[in-house]
Amino acid sequence: MINSDVLLLILGMTVVTYIPRMLPAVLIDKMRFGPKTEKFLNLIPYTAMAALIFPGILSVDAARPEIGILGGLAAGVLAWKKCSPMICVLAAIGVDLILYTLF
Amino acid sequence: MSAQSGKSQYLQGLRDGLPVILGVFPVGIAFAVIARQAGWSAAESLAMSAFVFAGASQMMAAGMYIQGASLFAIILATFILNLRHLIMSTCISNRMRRTPAALKLLAAFGVCDETFAIFSTAEKSKCSLPYFLGLFGTVYFPWVLGTAAGIVASEFLPPSLTASLGIALYAMFIGLLMPGLTRSKKLAALVLLTALCNFFLSRCMASSWALIFSTLICAAVGAAFPDPEEEKETANDKL
Repeated sequence: MINSDVLLLILGMTVVTYIPRMLPAVLIDKMRFGPKTEKFLNLIPYTAMAALIFPGILSVDAARPEIGILGGLAAGVLAWKKCSPMICVLAAIGVDLILYTLF
Repeated sequence: MSAQSGKSQYLQGLRDGLPVILGVFPVGIAFAVIARQAGWSAAESLAMSAFVFAGASQMMAAGMYIQGASLFAIILATFILNLRHLIMSTCISNRMRRTPAALKLLAAFGVCDETFAIFSTAEKSKCSLPYFLGLFGTVYFPWVLGTAAGIVASEFLPPSLTASLGIALYAMFIGLLMPGLTRSKKLAALVLLTALCNFFLSRCMASSWALIFSTLICAAVGAAFPDPEEEKETANDKL
């Protein structure tokens, strides 16, 4: 069962994700980035993830902002203590599960 | 010295990529659960993992879809988040010099954070197309299988647990961001600036556009600042 909207989304995402992957293979010797451009491209994952986290995390459960805040805090502390992203995810889920079950 | 056969190079790639499986499979599960929350069918979720093959952007897409962003905004945000593959692919392509362009075009689909991290730091003598394909296999199949496992698991999970899984996306981003932030104060400041920028922008426009603008503006701001630590690093790379 495939919804045409979602199909379009998958198609679009596939194309725009493949283009930057494939361009360097086609333009092998013509692709040279200046240091500034390279730095800009390297910073994008960081700024994108920062923007994805905040303020979106406050509306994980729009009625209960503490679900996002406390879960995120747990992930942040563990990540700071050098735990892997997967441990952070599990801990955050655990904290929210406790919040949902007890309060 | 005899040239290694393609098969043994491929197996070497599989071996070197083995540790990656543990990281990719669980994220595939998490993606599937969010995709199901977005209302995507099993086929749609699986197709996205099989064709897009870019974890963070798929999670982001599901998150934006839940928040009601337009398809165009989601696709544009995907493009921007995945622009980083340009650099990775350039590096990988350079290390596969003798491979025919047509094959490189196909291999380019396998460019991702994990394959790049291993391939770009492997000994030059290892860097061949079969080796890369081996690495790709250790990321691609766990990713698609993890998605499938997540689809199955989400049928059986109690509602309190599926509600709690909403935090998974954010926790993963926090886990991915933190190592870079503890290494560099400037990066930490930039991330903070981006979060604030997005907070204010999202009060005056749709949140999906605020996301795109704050990502681009703040990356440009970061690139404009000189960074002595980073310059030292690149200088060392050249030695």
